[in-house]
Amino acid sequence: MTEPPVHESPRAVFRRTLVRVLVVQVVSLTLLGLLQIVYG
Amino acid sequence: MHPLNWAIVVAYLLWVVVDGIRKSKGTDTISGYFIADKSLAWWVVGLSVMATQLSAVTMIGTTGQGATDGLRFVQLYFGLPLAMVILGVTLVPLLHGSGVYTAYEYLERRFDAKTRSLTAFLFLLSRGMSCGTIIAAPGVVLSAIFGIPLAWSVALIGIPTVLYTMIGGVQAVAWADVKQMLLIVVALLAIVVVLVLQMPVSPNEALEIAGATGRLQTFDFSFNLDDTYTFWSGVIGGTFLMLSYFGTDQSQVQRYLTARSVNEAKSSLLMSAYWKIPLQALVLLVGVGVFVYYQFVQPPLLFNPAQEEVVLAEAGATYDDLQERYAAAFSLRETAALEVAAAEAEPTAEAAMQTFLAREADIQAIRGEALALAEEVTGQPSRDVNYIIPRFVLSELPIGLAGLFIAGVIAAAMSSISSELNSLATTSVIDFYRRWVQPEATDAHYLKVSKGATALWGTFACVVATYAATLGSLIEVVNRFGSFFYGSILGVFLLAMMPRAKGTGAFIGLIVGMGSVAAVTFGAPSISFLWHNVIGAGVVVFVGLVLGGLGSGDVPAADGSEPAS
Repeated sequence: MTEPPVHESPRAVFRRTLVRVLVVQVVSLTLLGLLQIVYG
Repeated sequence: MHPLNWAIVVAYLLWVVVDGIRKSKGTDTISGYFIADKSLAWWVVGLSVMATQLSAVTMIGTTGQGATDGLRFVQLYFGLPLAMVILGVTLVPLLHGSGVYTAYEYLERRFDAKTRSLTAFLFLLSRGMSCGTIIAAPGVVLSAIFGIPLAWSVALIGIPTVLYTMIGGVQAVAWADVKQMLLIVVALLAIVVVLVLQMPVSPNEALEIAGATGRLQTFDFSFNLDDTYTFWSGVIGGTFLMLSYFGTDQSQVQRYLTARSVNEAKSSLLMSAYWKIPLQALVLLVGVGVFVYYQFVQPPLLFNPAQEEVVLAEAGATYDDLQERYAAAFSLRETAALEVAAAEAEPTAEAAMQTFLAREADIQAIRGEALALAEEVTGQPSRDVNYIIPRFVLSELPIGLAGLFIAGVIAAAMSSISSELNSLATTSVIDFYRRWVQPEATDAHYLKVSKGATALWGTFACVVATYAATLGSLIEVVNRFGSFFYGSILGVFLLAMMPRAKGTGAFIGLIVGMGSVAAVTFGAPSISFLWHNVIGAGVVVFVGLVLGGLGSGDVPAADGSEPAS
């Protein structure tokens, strides 16, 4: 049996996407921050 | 330039034009010509969005800025990821779902014809002129580097772009953008590899030297409205700028209107949300790498070869004297840089660093004298940041890679210009010709007019670019005027999502918003342009809501499909 598709609310989609994008940005900015702290 | 490099550039240009024209299949309707019948995959649209934003100025100007100013420019993009996520749940479903060809067309459905026509007119005015400057910036640099007339370099960039955009429509533009984006990334990575291989010191030592001169300072947490490159300007002002650009500027909106579905349109924008900051950091790091490389290999005193030639001819003795001092100062700085790289213990390292910074200041002082001399002799501004990377590429990169990079610069210019020409033609035809001049005609007729409009805008852009030097102050005025309404147009689209707002309130709000930004620009000129977008959008929304009862307007459905008044 297949599960019926679960429809997320726009608010949930927004929150999930925002979290993913923020995680990638935090990684990028942490690397830039480390460059600044270690060598700056 | 070596013939092999030229061969690479010519081969690239031919490939883009021929392949672009082949992509004209299926563009015999205006839906195919303008929005590819909503048939493109998310990754094609995503790369097209990125390529449109990344112009030749990024390739030569931003890399140069990395060399002279370091990484802090990247803060401008800190608001982009958030803006993309917001657009994904607001304007993208609204515009994609409503079946419009232009963002402004939607405003008539929501408000009225006058609001649509004013926003469309403002777009044509600002983008029409900026298209010329987008060709002019790399055109001027290529003309100086290769010693060819400006008209030739403008033609080299402009003619192929107009050809494939006119014949192939949005499909040719999108698929050319894919190739161009890949070429740009490969060209940047090639420079990184060459820099790492040819750098006389280790990567760790190179970073020590870059850090010592402040070029690895990314973050500035001061809250200063006058400074564009701070964390807060980037996050707050940058978010509004990116919301305006990606949400309301037809040159970007048209990219994601071509996506197969609303979800694919959202995914295409998320590609920029994920990759824009790392890519921009890479661009700046290339510049930082070139700066470190030039600590060990003497660079030219003036990077603009055309200006250097004039200075040598008219003030040769003074310039020779400066060059002698420059060579001596360079030698001292090179020694100091090697000492910084070699020093390990703290007191020695600190002393070496201070000596290096003093030698670096000497070099900058001599460069300042040379630039002032160039300005005096030529009577033109001598800021040569845009020439640093092209000179580096042509003198230091192996044969073949230099051609690849020059092709990458031309690709970056073409990918931005083609999207702009495409969107200018679409807005001219859909928002003005079809709306006001010829509402009932066949697709064949509109297609013919659209191709004519693309050719006309392309010719206009090339003429503006060719006379960029003489039109300099006019272009500046138009660009400045453009910054008055960018945030204000965003305000109108924000109002479109608010049930209370009506047409006349939005129209008056737009005018008051632009007036407010103009007042701030002239009254407090030191405030960074990033904040103009916040002010413009805020005033429009406020006025639009206060005057909420005035005029007509239908509340949009969530997907933009049917107004539910």
